[in-house]
This record gives sequence, C-alpha cells and structure tokens, in this order.
Amino acid sequence: MEIKADLCIGCGQCVIVCPVHAIKLKDNKAEINQDQCVECAVCYRDAECPVKAIRSKRLKWPRIIRSPFSNVITTHKVTGIPGRGTEEMKTNDVTNRYSLGEIGITIEIGRPGVGTYLRNIELFTTKLSKIGVEYEKESPVTAIIIDDKGHIKEYIKNEKVLSAIIEFKVPNSKITDVLNVIREVEKKIDTVFSVGIITRIMENGDIPIINLLSEEGFKVRKNIKANMGLGRA
Amino acid sequence: MTHSLHRKGNIEDLKRDYVILAMFAAGINDKYPDSRKKLIRIGEILNQHNPINIMPEVAWNISPIITATFTDIETVKKVMKTLKEENLGVSIVISGLLSEIQNIATKVDLNLHTVHLSLGIFGKKDLLPSEKILEITTMCGHHCISSYSVEYYINLIREEKISVEEAARKLAKPCVCGIFNPSRAVQILNTLVKGIS
Repeated sequence: MEIKADLCIGCGQCVIVCPVHAIKLKDNKAEINQDQCVECAVCYRDAECPVKAIRSKRLKWPRIIRSPFSNVITTHKVTGIPGRGTEEMKTNDVTNRYSLGEIGITIEIGRPGVGTYLRNIELFTTKLSKIGVEYEKESPVTAIIIDDKGHIKEYIKNEKVLSAIIEFKVPNSKITDVLNVIREVEKKIDTVFSVGIITRIMENGDIPIINLLSEEGFKVRKNIKANMGLGRA
Repeated sequence: MTHSLHRKGNIEDLKRDYVILAMFAAGINDKYPDSRKKLIRIGEILNQHNPINIMPEVAWNISPIITATFTDIETVKKVMKTLKEENLGVSIVISGLLSEIQNIATKVDLNLHTVHLSLGIFGKKDLLPSEKILEITTMCGHHCISSYSVEYYINLIREEKISVEEAARKLAKPCVCGIFNPSRAVQILNTLVKGIS
C-alpha cells in the first residue's frame, strides 16, 4: 500500500484502522512503514480516506507474497479460497482429512493482530519435520516449505504478514512431541501464535484428547468449532 | 481459516455468540450443476432466521463459504433443524461453547463429526492489547480490526460524539465475512467506556 503525500491531509483515519499499526503521522502526513505493512489493504478498503490518497500499488516478488497471508479478499492460488487458511476440519465430514486416530494441529503465527515475519515459520517447521508430521498439502505455508527438513525459501523470510498458519496432522501417539515443540518455540519467538487442535468425536460423544492436553499442562478453551456432520460426498 | 475459533470472552458472553459456516469441499461438493444453488439456499435459511450479521449476499455467488452470526442458542437450533430437514449435503460448522453445541446436537439429533479446540495464545503476549479489546478484535476471523480503532471509538463514545451502537457498527465494517457480532461489541464497549480493561 502507499499513501500519496501530496494528497494526504493528515486526518489520521488510516492510522486508526491499520491492524498492525504500520501507519504513523509525520509532519501532518500519514506515512506507511513499508517493512511493517503486511499488505492487508484494510486501510484502502476501510479508512474512508476523504481525499483518496491511499493507493493499492502493484506488488513485486517477493513482497507480493504478503498479500495472500494478510488480505482477506485475496484468493491464494494453492487453496483456491479467500484468506490464508484451508478447509481443514470444516469439510471433514466429506473429505475425512482427519481420521479417527489422527490429530490435526493449526499453529497460526502472528495471531491475534501482531503479525509475523515468514522466517518464524522455520522455528516450528524445522522441529516438526524431525517428528515426521504430515503437512496439509493445500496450505499456503506448505507451499513455501522447500525440503524435508522444514526450511522455507530464503528470499521470502523477511516478508511480514498478518498471520501464517502451519497446518499438519500426526497420529495420536505423536501429539506429545508436537506439544514439546510448542513449548520450546514459545521461549524464543518474537511474536504471538494461536494453537488449535483438531480431532474426531468418538461414537459415544467423548473427546479424549481434552484430558491428555490437560495432563500435559495445556488449557483447552471452552469455545470451539464443531463440524455438525451434515456434509456428504 | 481458523476463522472463529480463537474468539475471546467469558462463558456468559460466549453464550450469546454463535457463528454458523457452510462450506463446499473443493473438488467434491462443487462439481455438481446445482452446487451453487444449494449454498445460496443455505444463505437464505441463515438470513430467514434474523442473524445479527451475515456475509453480504453479493459474495454468495462466488465464495465457497457462507457465514452468519447469531446471538441465541434457540435460533441456532431452529437453523440446524431446517438445515437437517433440507438435507443439502454441504458441511456445516458451528463456533460457540462446546457445552452449548453439544446441547444443539442433542436437541436436533445430530452427531458431531469433528471438533477444532483452541489452546489459546502463546509467545510474546506483552505485544497484545488488553483482554477486553481482544474480545472485540478477535471477533473478526481474519483479524482485520485494529486495536487502535477500538480505542478511538471508546474515546468518541466518552465524548458523546457517537453512540455505542454506531461505534459497534463501524467496528464491524472490516469484517467482510460477517462473523463480527455487533451485539456483543456493544456490551464490551459499554464495559470499556466505564474504564474496565
């Protein structure tokens, strides 16, 4: 994004709406910190700039990669859906992406609202790859992992995005290893991340992983997402 | 997208906050000529039950997802009963309290298939705004709502330059999916205006 300084009247509306606080007023003109800007385009859509000084500029590689990880309107060419995630458990009643005996994990780096450099993905993926997790093929993050050691493309590491979701699954027996990675990375990462655990419901309605997570010292929040089982192939 | 999973709030507030999402499985549900018609029918059902927010109709014709937000469990039960009766075969996901969703499934006679649980936030939590502000900003699944916006509207409300309801409506604008709950936002703003963070 860019703001035309010759048009800007310094009203500050764009400063207020920027989710990552990348816009500041300087000498009564709004300026975008291009390193911090994640190209979410919220300023362009929602600031209601009275002089239309906010412009969506044509992005070049590698900066263009910020957009699908940040701009809700951008459809990623890998997932085919708007936003930075995938179908994950939302269509599991049709796809059986997560079977009984498997646990899905979503680690959303940068959420909520802080953002992340893509280099932070490697903090997790180099460790997760050693465990032998199965990355979600349709995920935008999986698309930038270049080897079986979990490295990502070097020239995109310093691109900042609103959030990046590592999606993968493991057999039930490996969940403790994944939780150890989460504990380890939490100590060294320079941003926040939100973690989700996906599991099938047992026939009797039980969700046994909740007890396991509790025993491991992880608190499961009371609000969840539930696939209601109405989908069919 | 993990969309509505990480909404913050206490139990009582979350009892008034339900997101319903309908989604095609790509390459499976969307290959039939009547697929789009089914998804739009779901949009109509959601709309007929007076959601507090819903994805704009213009998006129903292009998006693989339709979303809407409700504030009471009884309405959600009615929506689910209708969706079950119409048997459209499209995946439906509800976000809300586990106990309440189990209640819905029992009353409508549905078997929950898969759940997505939240373990919350980790890492540099000192970078985050206050818990109450997060209750508002996390209502946008793509996190398009700035904490500065919330602070800005709190000040305008205190200065009596805008009503709480209008501020909630303005805050909902960046959430293009229609999962922001303006009714909850009014309650949270009222608390924040009184100076409770």
